Amino acid sequence: MIDAAVEFSGVSKRYTHFTLDRIDLKLPTGCIMGFVGANGAGKSTTLRILMGLVHQDAGSVKVLGHAMPEQQATAKRDIGFLSEDMRLYGSATLAWHMGFVRSIYPHWDSKYAEDLLRRFDLKCEQKIKGMSHGQRVKAALLLALARRPRLLVLDEPTTGLDPIARREVLGELMAVLADEERTVLFSSHNTLEVEQISDQITFIDRGRILESSDKETFLDRWRRLRLVLPPNTKLPGLPGVVNVDGSGRLPVVTTNRFEPTMVSACTEAGVAVQAVDVMTLEEIFVARVQSQREGQAL
Amino acid sequence: MNIAMVSRLICKDWYLNRVGILASLFAGVVTLGMVAAMHRSQLALILGVIVVVTILIGMGAMVMISAANERRQQTLPFVMTLPISYREYTTAKIVGGMLIFLVLWVALVADIVATILLTPGFPHGLIPFVVIMAVEILMSTCLITAVSVTTEAHGWTVASAQVGALSLNVIGWSIVRLPEIGGSMKSTTVQWGGTATTLVAAELATIVFMLLITFFVQAHKKDFI
Repeated sequence: MIDAAVEFSGVSKRYTHFTLDRIDLKLPTGCIMGFVGANGAGKSTTLRILMGLVHQDAGSVKVLGHAMPEQQATAKRDIGFLSEDMRLYGSATLAWHMGFVRSIYPHWDSKYAEDLLRRFDLKCEQKIKGMSHGQRVKAALLLALARRPRLLVLDEPTTGLDPIARREVLGELMAVLADEERTVLFSSHNTLEVEQISDQITFIDRGRILESSDKETFLDRWRRLRLVLPPNTKLPGLPGVVNVDGSGRLPVVTTNRFEPTMVSACTEAGVAVQAVDVMTLEEIFVARVQSQREGQAL
Repeated sequence: MNIAMVSRLICKDWYLNRVGILASLFAGVVTLGMVAAMHRSQLALILGVIVVVTILIGMGAMVMISAANERRQQTLPFVMTLPISYREYTTAKIVGGMLIFLVLWVALVADIVATILLTPGFPHGLIPFVVIMAVEILMSTCLITAVSVTTEAHGWTVASAQVGALSLNVIGWSIVRLPEIGGSMKSTTVQWGGTATTLVAAELATIVFMLLITFFVQAHKKDFI
């Protein structure tokens, strides 16, 4: 077994108005990584480089032990890919697509495909052009999953889906988790989805990886402290302060290195701690991106 | 080169373009039948040539434009995430398109040549002109293929089709003015000379050059979708 299913080292790609800048990224085998970034942050470019569809200008990429883009044909035998801008052939039926993909992938699981057809409520003989957007996404996901890939790469797969379809797609991804050998890289700007299904989180903004860590570490480290400063009292020096909001007497401090000892440090300094708020992944993401854009070293 | 994978991609393109391909083949067969039914008369030949050229150009454009369609219809990511290389994708597009085109091209050109040779009183001197123009149509189709596969853009592909149609007229108009070709068109025997050989060789060399350029450009592309 390979330790890292995906490994980027110093990967750069330059366009006229955008640069992917020295990306270092490691996705351990068996993990589900949420790749979070705003629109235009570089998520799709990174995933396209991973698939060998875009060639990096510098750096190296290894996917399932294969160098990309040179060994892409071999690597792609074990990858299932789904992206927001990927379409199936409108004039052909889902059955034709299933037959086509089955003829290419020796590990195609017909029983699983039939099972997914039922769970997604799809009709085999229906032409793709007659399907709703949600049905098309589910059809593409079926084609990606039933080939039993070792690595599943999903580039904003739930964009434009209604809540029911989104729940079905996410539910199926959760089921994929049961197979510990399967690795998933899931890009989205919907942090709620990422929080639900990922065990690793990577933030990207303006072509740079901001942070990459396991989800629990992210959620444990980030806190928002609501403080009450008595008159003539200064805010004590706290580690990892990313942002200070609120009024002068009632500051709200966001830290990315929270320790329970911080509360006692505040109390000892004469500062009352009104509350220590747990932050959602979205709040963490926004705080992290804003601090990066403001040029704050973390 | 994964031949099995290339074959599957070719079959995919044939299947997805099956209506147009079958309609073109049907029209071709009907044309051949009509030429034969009219006892290979001069009128049948003239009508046949007009229909054949129309079918060939239309079919060439239709099949070859499939590469540009893949991008426009956003199916290119689906294809390119299959276990294939750029070389295999390019080979499938070119071979698949050219094979189906060549089937029709060979059948229709052979029938026109046969009609000229078998029609009593028809000048066999037309043969060099017909062969040169038939290879020119093949060359135009290769141009559309090369542009469609390398640019994957409808605009450029349509422009290349216009260039192909224009070159058909320009080359036709030019070669009938060559003494060795135009001067012997009314001859009762085939007058195949050095000029005809040179022109056909130049056309074939251009075809090979365009195909090589296509593979070269594809091999050096950095962004495929």
